[in-house]
Amino acid sequence: MKRDASIALVLFALVALLPLSGEAYWMRLGTTMLMYGVLAMSWNFIGGMAGYPSFAVAAFFGLGAYAGAVAQKFGVPMGFAWVGAGLLALVFAALLGVALLRLRGHYFAIASLVVAEVLRELVNSMTGLTGGGMGLNLPIPAMASVDAQARFFFYVMLLLAAVTFTAMLITANSKLGFGLRCIQQNESAADMLGVDTTFYKVSAFMLSGVFVGVAGAVYASWVYYIEPPDVFDVLYSVKAIVMVLLGGAGSMFGPLVGAAAFLSLEELVWRNYLEVHTGVLGLMIVLLVLFLPKGLISLSQRLGRRGKLR
Amino acid sequence: MNRALLLGAALALGTAAAGAAHAQDVIRVGAPLPITGPLSPEAKKQQRGYDLWAETVNKRGGVKVGAKRMKVEIVYVDYQSNTPRAVQAAEKLITQDKVDFLFSPFGSGATKAASSVSEKYQVPTVAATASSAQVYDQGYKYLFGTFTPNDTLTEPLADIVGREAAGVRRVAILARNDLFPLAIAQEMEKSAKKRGLNVVYFEKYAIGTLDHASALSQIKSMSPHWIFATGYTNDLILLRKQMADQRIEAPVVTMIAAPAYQDWIDGTGKLSQNVTSAAWWHPAVRYKGKDVFGTTENYVKLFRAAYGALPDYAEASASAAGAMLQLAIEKAGSIDRTKVRDALSAMNEMTFWGPVKFGPNGQITSLEPPVFQIQNGKPTVIHPKAIRQGELQLGVSN
Repeated sequence: MKRDASIALVLFALVALLPLSGEAYWMRLGTTMLMYGVLAMSWNFIGGMAGYPSFAVAAFFGLGAYAGAVAQKFGVPMGFAWVGAGLLALVFAALLGVALLRLRGHYFAIASLVVAEVLRELVNSMTGLTGGGMGLNLPIPAMASVDAQARFFFYVMLLLAAVTFTAMLITANSKLGFGLRCIQQNESAADMLGVDTTFYKVSAFMLSGVFVGVAGAVYASWVYYIEPPDVFDVLYSVKAIVMVLLGGAGSMFGPLVGAAAFLSLEELVWRNYLEVHTGVLGLMIVLLVLFLPKGLISLSQRLGRRGKLR
Repeated sequence: MNRALLLGAALALGTAAAGAAHAQDVIRVGAPLPITGPLSPEAKKQQRGYDLWAETVNKRGGVKVGAKRMKVEIVYVDYQSNTPRAVQAAEKLITQDKVDFLFSPFGSGATKAASSVSEKYQVPTVAATASSAQVYDQGYKYLFGTFTPNDTLTEPLADIVGREAAGVRRVAILARNDLFPLAIAQEMEKSAKKRGLNVVYFEKYAIGTLDHASALSQIKSMSPHWIFATGYTNDLILLRKQMADQRIEAPVVTMIAAPAYQDWIDGTGKLSQNVTSAAWWHPAVRYKGKDVFGTTENYVKLFRAAYGALPDYAEASASAAGAMLQLAIEKAGSIDRTKVRDALSAMNEMTFWGPVKFGPNGQITSLEPPVFQIQNGKPTVIHPKAIRQGELQLGVSN
């Protein structure tokens, strides 16, 4: 655990140097990467550790975005609105978890997938509060320059990613993490041996919701205009899963490596293929998952082994 | 073997990444568009408008910049119908592709979000599809829009109906729950209330609704004098037909934005008779412009020749955005961004799109959006006076 923590510290410190590049475009990419990292790490709690294929990331993200935006509309200061959005996502995840985590496998996946759709329709129809299909404008943060704004949101995302990572590290090395891995291997057996599976699963689900909720709220402030199809986009769920698979499911650094790799691929493909970039991206992910089923993180171990054999 | 495969993929990407060379005598204009995702049909329209402008200009030798002529190149980037990506795309176009000028992404929301980037880099940006006044209220100096605020569509409508249809008291409004259709419906509600009309019904329907029966029977029970419905072509073909199924009749029926499209008129046939509408532009208007397209007729002719269809206001607006930029560059006699910005800001010209003059906030002020009515399968302009082709006819029946 200590080793992981120190590696992470170095990693985050390196990322924190990015603003020195002075390139606004790199800052934007960095902020997005950290946000992706938060989504991927959050998914890791329920998907990677407990083995429950959750598609609820988009639901938590949209909920957080709208909660933060609506709170700010009523004059709540930005920071409090973000924390509030996280708490709301936490409570929502708890309630949802109690209901949904009775399902397993595909059934759970489908049920969690629908949550975002339901929330989107609700937000769509509450025009008075959310602007419905017209979207919602957020107050533009009163900051000296656009550069200062970019830096500010970059560091906020960095902080959030660090907090999420810490939570993941603590969980993985605690009784909760142990219980979750038991559930992943054999839920019935774990239950029989005295693991309180419902409590563990709901806790993991809550952890997978709270940081995404905050990320959604920060995101809303960052882009200061949100609309239902943008923030309740099912692609957020899919991307989180793909990133974790890409990096290595269940591992500590897998989600972060996956987020960085995914964003780089996405950017590279997006730049070079105007019309077919989604197709090319999909193809590359399929190739990666096929040939590196344990994710990019396993690459280093594999290469290391090969070196030893020689 | 798998490593070889990955290597191959990486190599293929690398060669594709070698960017296009930056030619000297070309004006590059960046256009972030939602080429994929839910907004892709709109992106196609924008592309047609921009391409037509670029082709027309290049066919005539290019834009006159001082003594020389420069060709135009439009650099497209797909932002996947995703607003933050639109901002990212704008930043990429400016800093990485080094475009000289920018067209805004689609719609008010994305335009507003991306305008902070063009302002930061001081790149003159023309927005072809942003009407909401909130887009222009940030005190930005480099953003110019071709659409007047939404109420310039509903106010003249309400005026004309108030003047020529004295008995109209009850208004029913049905809106598609989407950025522009809902915003314009809310403007209509305001315009109606301002004139003491009674808005007896205001509802919205979800994007993709196929069955409007329950909303329509509610509307019927209110027996409104004026039915105001918003949506795009497919929505309003369905709605108009289902109105006929329920035998709903009213002195005035207004629909925005579908009747601006020939597809809607063809799709509804006789049911289109006397339906009124308004748009920022219509192929039936007649302006004699000083821009590259000249008259509105000529623009429509060129568009038909290129795409075999009538242009609608979104396509024309994209072409107009290009034409305005060109006028500004020619006036400035250089592609210096500040000079072009000043020329746009001081512009007072006639174009095929209409008279062009921007307010201090950058939104066009000179344009009077036409109100038109479908009469015998043909759109007839009934407002403004200068280009009027007929009178408002009352009574929409089945």
